[in-house]
Amino acid sequence: MSPLLELSRVSVAIGKVALLDRISLSVEPGRILGLVGESGSGKSLTAMAAIGLLPLIGGRVTEGEVRFAGRDIAAMSEAERRALRGRRIGFVTQNPMTALDPVQRIGGQVDIVSRMHLRLTKTAARARTLDLLTQLRIPDAAAVVDAYPHQLSGGMKQRIVIAMALAGEPELIIADEPTTALDVTVQAQIIQILGALVRDRGLALLLITHDMGVIAQICDRVAVLYCGRLAEEGPVGPIFAAPAHPYTAALIDCIPQEGTARGSLRGIPGAVPSALAFSTGCRFHPRCRRATGLCQDSAPPLLPRDAGSVACHHAGAAP
Amino acid sequence: MSAWPAPMRALRWPVGGIAGAWLILIVAAALFAPVLSPYAYDAQALKEAYGSASAAHWLGTDEFGRDLLTRLMYGARTSLSVSATAISLSVACGMVLGAAAAWFGGRFDRAVTVVVDLTWSFPEILIALILVAIIGPGTTGTMIAIAVAYLAQFTRLTRAQIMTLKGETFVEAARSLGAGNTYILLRHLLPNAFAPVLVAAMLATGDAIILEATLGFFGLGAQPPVPSWGGMMSAGSALVFKAPWIIIFPGLAVAATVLAINLYGDALIAELDIRSKLRGAG
Amino acid sequence: MTGPLLRIEGLTKRFHSGGGLFSRERAMIAVRDVSLEIARGEVLGVVGESGCGKSTLARLILRLIEATNGRIVFDGTELTALPASALRAMRKRMAMVFQDPYSSLDPRFTLARVLAEPFRVQSRAMPPDAVAAMLAAVGLPETLATSYPHQLSGGQRQRVGIARALALRPDFVVLDEPTASLDVSIQAQIIALLADLRDKMGLTYLFISHDLGLVRYFCDRIVVMYLGSVVEVLPDTKAAPRHPYTDALMRSGFAPDPARRREIAPLGGEIPSPFALPAGCAFTTRCAFASDRCRSERPVLSQDPAHPVACFHPL
Repeated sequence: MSPLLELSRVSVAIGKVALLDRISLSVEPGRILGLVGESGSGKSLTAMAAIGLLPLIGGRVTEGEVRFAGRDIAAMSEAERRALRGRRIGFVTQNPMTALDPVQRIGGQVDIVSRMHLRLTKTAARARTLDLLTQLRIPDAAAVVDAYPHQLSGGMKQRIVIAMALAGEPELIIADEPTTALDVTVQAQIIQILGALVRDRGLALLLITHDMGVIAQICDRVAVLYCGRLAEEGPVGPIFAAPAHPYTAALIDCIPQEGTARGSLRGIPGAVPSALAFSTGCRFHPRCRRATGLCQDSAPPLLPRDAGSVACHHAGAAP
Repeated sequence: MSAWPAPMRALRWPVGGIAGAWLILIVAAALFAPVLSPYAYDAQALKEAYGSASAAHWLGTDEFGRDLLTRLMYGARTSLSVSATAISLSVACGMVLGAAAAWFGGRFDRAVTVVVDLTWSFPEILIALILVAIIGPGTTGTMIAIAVAYLAQFTRLTRAQIMTLKGETFVEAARSLGAGNTYILLRHLLPNAFAPVLVAAMLATGDAIILEATLGFFGLGAQPPVPSWGGMMSAGSALVFKAPWIIIFPGLAVAATVLAINLYGDALIAELDIRSKLRGAG
Repeated sequence: MTGPLLRIEGLTKRFHSGGGLFSRERAMIAVRDVSLEIARGEVLGVVGESGCGKSTLARLILRLIEATNGRIVFDGTELTALPASALRAMRKRMAMVFQDPYSSLDPRFTLARVLAEPFRVQSRAMPPDAVAAMLAAVGLPETLATSYPHQLSGGQRQRVGIARALALRPDFVVLDEPTASLDVSIQAQIIALLADLRDKMGLTYLFISHDLGLVRYFCDRIVVMYLGSVVEVLPDTKAAPRHPYTDALMRSGFAPDPARRREIAPLGGEIPSPFALPAGCAFTTRCAFASDRCRSERPVLSQDPAHPVACFHPL
């Protein structure tokens, strides 16, 4: 199947600072691509580039192109891009507390999306909203539409945000850390809902998260980002079974699981540097166990490997 | 962030720099008036009365032939010292009162809040006029009147700051180490509350200069022959057609100084990044 | 040196909100009748979701807020009865690391001043080179002593928070979600540091977290809280859950392994408002096993010392 969203060698800068370096990704209908990395790795920036929202934060694509359903986003007019957002691409943001307008009732906030994008009448839009809320297993949807955001729990609000993302009948959903602000039992609920949407409706989902557990649970492919570069990309099965990039391996090893021996978690030494202080060569080398002189001097190219690709001079070598 | 303190960094802004330069000039003129000024402020020369600008008198002379530039410099001395002292007094009392209200809470806090809200609802000029009427005209009276007129503002701002800071985790952390109330108030709360209060004080000084000039205009400020900008304008108001410079120059001095204070204050706010905190004070 | 380091009995905290000019006063019980013991050298985990009262419990234990009811006995001394001056002296032996490393350091303090604060408020002389030693102990370079918090990363700030808590060599440290606002890579660093420091200094920890996986990795025993009450105490990290809520918590965590994907059976129902708890067990609104008895009667923590659970239908 041809990809719905495709980034090819996209570089992004804000002012003179280069933040993303030749990122290539693609999401197909009915598939979930996970985008993972520590804070400061450029995950959210990639999402903003994918939907042409960079100007909002003063950024611009300096190289490469973003295509949605085969069309170059940069070649579209701003009006066309606006029509894309909300209508064909839905968003779920990290913080459901701020994504909703506190002085508007829930119903009105969801209605407006389908009224605007699908040109539905007031009553048709409301019927659709009620239908969506019920599908998202919101109990007593008829009462919830009349509520204000502050009357709802965090998990409920996040489901409303998902309903808003779905209201325009999009083909692609971009979810930026949709469960980070939520409790674990609620996170499980939201992840389950997102997975079911992709399965049942053939949506494409770009899921941004810092949690390798979430990636392993629902994603088909994963792209690992470090300091604005792709470290590794490919189907989740092989990557989790045998990560080729030491950064991927380290991220997985940070999570305690059943049977993790006490004292065996050490984390990744150091911290993600600011964009002004990216290292030469491989940007991960100062924190990498496998780093050699070669890693210091030259940046490893992203090379195909199995069903994915990896950018490491020592890809797959034993640690 | 550089090692320079925020008041210096504010000067790097184009507008902040120009405003700062004017303020430095006017403060220097006020401080060194006795050295810099070409005449004595009360040296009359009736022959030269109503003189317009000339080589001998750059800004002209007033109805007694006194040099306007000299009087403007001495006027700056009065205006600035009265306003600055009044605001300092106001800030000091306001911080103590506001901090105490926020810290002790309860009935004391409610009493302070009611009084503050009451004074807040009267125009400053009215409060100042009433107080000068009670204390009597002159620099001391003006000073106290202005200080009281602005007390509510600083009390309220400090109280709001302390209330917010009280909830910060670093305050709880200090408490968990065994820090007492006085320590927390003096070491954590007041220093953190100080920057927004400082900026508010700066901006209020501008207003205070106008208030001082207004009181002077009504003849309630510094008493003749000591010059003040308000007093000079008052004298010039009767001569607006005969010798307009007598009222224009002190008027310009007030306007330029207040504008400079406001512009520099804006630059300082941007440098300190405290706009949101000031807004919290309502 | 016998007996537990800390024992709390029937600790309850009731909060009142509103009651001003514009709102009706409402009361909620943030912590209800909690009793537990912490042995010397133990790491006791407290796990639960937002609003379960775990942070309130931490603050009650250190008397940063006052309990409505109950007793706290620290190393034989009843804290709840201690006058302010004696309590302040006692604070040398108990410390806390806070969740948010961004707001737990005064932005106007240099790190040297942050680390000197414990000595200063306890009127103790600070040994020379103490700041450098404290920084080194948490893996920070001495050169940071003159830095301000905003110049540090989140992980570095949390290390400073830990150094400050350990400055006076306490016996007991409350860790209130010390890694919740950090990246997983940094979280693992901090947990490793805390484990090392515990071994070196013989510390006893109360570790509060919402992450059961992390708690099971780091702690010896685990207290599970739900809406203010303790619902279960897991005697060790391998113990199978007996309370349906603990079970749901465990099932909600995802292993970083696509081969171990699980069918998610998310909890139905909604978390009740803490201002309007059900009469019986607080978990009834979400529990698959809830019976009429659960809805009308509140289960108490069983006195089974091996594995206490507060449930009428334990698994």
